[in-house]
Amino acid sequence: MDRRKFVLSASALAGASAFGLPRLANAQAAKTAVEAAKQFAGTEISIVWEAGLQSLDPLNFSGPLWEKGTGIKVKVIEVPVAEMFTKILQEHRAGTGAYDALNVIPSWMPDLVRAGALEDLDPYVDKYGYRDELNAIAPVYRDNQMTVDGKIYGFPDDGDVFIMYYRKDILGDPKIQAAYKEKYGTDLPVPPKTWLEFDQVGSLITEVTGGKPYGAAFFREQAYGNFMFQERFRAEGGKFFDADTMKATINSPEGVKVLNDWVAENKWMPAGVETWGFVENLAAFLNGDTAMTVSWPPYGRWAAGYGTDEEALSWVPKSKVAGKVGYALPPGGHPQLAAGFALSVSSDSKNKDAAYLFIQWLNSAEISLERVQLPYALRDPFRDNHFASEEYKKLWPEAPEYLAALQAGAVSGLLDLSIIQTDRYEEGLRQAISRLWGGDDPQTILDETAASWDQVTDKIGIDKQKAAYQAWASKPNAYPK
Amino acid sequence: MNSGGATGETVAGPGGPALLTRASQAADRNFKYWMIFPAVLVILLIGLFPVIYTLIVSTQNLTMMDEDTTFHGLMHYRALLEDARFWESLLHTFIFVVVALPAELIFGLAMAYLFLERLPGRQIFVALLVLPVITSPIIAGATWRLLFDNRFGPINQILGWFAGEPVPILWTVDPNFVYPAILIAEIWQWTPFMFLLLLAALSNVDQSQIEAAELDGAGFWRTFTRIVLPAIWPVMAIAVLIRALDLFRLFDVIWALTRGGPGTSTETISIYAYVLGFQQFETSYTSAMAFLVIVILAVSITLILRRMEIDR
Repeated sequence: MDRRKFVLSASALAGASAFGLPRLANAQAAKTAVEAAKQFAGTEISIVWEAGLQSLDPLNFSGPLWEKGTGIKVKVIEVPVAEMFTKILQEHRAGTGAYDALNVIPSWMPDLVRAGALEDLDPYVDKYGYRDELNAIAPVYRDNQMTVDGKIYGFPDDGDVFIMYYRKDILGDPKIQAAYKEKYGTDLPVPPKTWLEFDQVGSLITEVTGGKPYGAAFFREQAYGNFMFQERFRAEGGKFFDADTMKATINSPEGVKVLNDWVAENKWMPAGVETWGFVENLAAFLNGDTAMTVSWPPYGRWAAGYGTDEEALSWVPKSKVAGKVGYALPPGGHPQLAAGFALSVSSDSKNKDAAYLFIQWLNSAEISLERVQLPYALRDPFRDNHFASEEYKKLWPEAPEYLAALQAGAVSGLLDLSIIQTDRYEEGLRQAISRLWGGDDPQTILDETAASWDQVTDKIGIDKQKAAYQAWASKPNAYPK
Repeated sequence: MNSGGATGETVAGPGGPALLTRASQAADRNFKYWMIFPAVLVILLIGLFPVIYTLIVSTQNLTMMDEDTTFHGLMHYRALLEDARFWESLLHTFIFVVVALPAELIFGLAMAYLFLERLPGRQIFVALLVLPVITSPIIAGATWRLLFDNRFGPINQILGWFAGEPVPILWTVDPNFVYPAILIAEIWQWTPFMFLLLLAALSNVDQSQIEAAELDGAGFWRTFTRIVLPAIWPVMAIAVLIRALDLFRLFDVIWALTRGGPGTSTETISIYAYVLGFQQFETSYTSAMAFLVIVILAVSITLILRRMEIDR
């Protein structure tokens, strides 16, 4: 983009924002969907949604609201996230037409499209005039998680991004700052911006406080560790494959460094952190047992106490750190856009238009803004109007800072690996992480994992996988710039 | 065409009454087959059809991306023979069977002996002991995961009391402890099953024989091996067989505790099949694996039954 175009675009964007045009346009897409859907009143559509908290959105809020506006009943099919891909593909293979609309993790999309399970949404987007509003989704999600081979197969609907949460009171403690300066000769960075700084700050906090609190903790359990490895490996400069030969290169020095760093960090983190998952890490941070952590956006809301009075969130420990938490990008500055959800239409649906209109309505700027503010739901901001929402910024005192961190992540975030049969590669990574915690040598682990990746690539076909990898790697947020 | 069955018209003539009698006897003999035919048909449909279908699918090439139903011969079977992970998972399965099965048998038998006497509160204790069996295995696994948790779990805490210092064992991660952790959970859950069956068997042993042996000076071991064991053998053999088959398809507890890790070190054949078949959609390859396992099990069971002499 040349300077002239940039200035024109920026002016147009600023003007539109100033006069509230996006909000007007946003309101239009939802209204269009409702009006068009009235012709299907009296019918029922089904939508696959992650079981648990996630599905409270369509069960308690969006489903009933849609039915009230259109007369179309929504049947929510709750499926645990680990089984969603399997169920969607199985139903497609069986041709049952049991699912009309779908929630899919964007990294699954290429596999589901190749299997023919997803409907091309481009004709519907044009038919129901959604293209302009679709473009107001934050670029990182819009440009990376919406299309396969240039066609739209899903609407990015969840701004999942890893954010670093840190205790401002602890990192700002004069005693800890003085100890840091004495040890490293520089001011304590608040927050740490590199993994080296993170290691220095975290280990020092544990040293000074004697583990009350610990400097940091992460979820280290293999399923979550997979995402964290993907992020940190690329932040260190690693590449998953040699783009010419398609040989796996995760056993490069960058990969080995990440695993060695993890093992070293564990020594100043809480004992047993190797087994921690989402809940263990959350409980420790909310209880004030750790000074820093990295996780998905709900941590930030719950740490502030937002929504935790809801019955659905009664399992979330009461935050002892509300008002003390700062939000930032994880060290390295390139957070993983871990998992996330996109809304799609099943190619086997017998009521595709109604299903499409429902997801357009859900995804519209107007309705999605309400959905990302639901205290019990897990959808995270993903649209420009979410990040700019004055309403959202008033939800808790630090909400503006929180939204700013999410928006920054939505610029520099890194995509989950997404090629043919991605899960086979990720399975290798998950096993590698569990072996690491079992005490195996990082270089050996990654050499063997790379060999298993090569076997998978050979089986799929090098040329086929190479094309898929190149398509993924060419996306703006596949690797750090 | 009339087959000359039991119609009076056809059998009339010289020797007619004798022929009629023979036909009537044959009909009587065949009647029982006709009676069980529907049941056999259902069993064949339910039991045999999936096996045959698995065999057919295993010779095709159904994957996540391809629905190639053309005949590919024994391609997947050849690949299986070279699949180290398959053989390793089979070995892990075998380890669980050979360790857990004798342990469950011995503990079950010991408990059954203990509860053979009419102790006060016996029925309540028996009912409590049976609770693990009626617990869903995946729930049992999740519960044991909490018990083994190094931070909040009581097991490390109790061990710490004895050790006099915190015990930071990572039961679900440390390669030295994952097998004991899984085996403890598995044995805890299924020993009561052995206990119940063996208690029933022991209760039916003829006490007069035991008393006679004791009067003749036979000790506990001699009485057990010569009188008790032969008496409970048919029940015990069936219990062992059922548990062996259960252990061979061990999945839930391991999935809840380690997911087959660290790496694939606790991956059983069921877990490997699940991962390949339902997560990665290697349908034909998984079918080949399943069929091979069926063959291995069928051969093993036949040999074991002959050895145990309980198929007579």
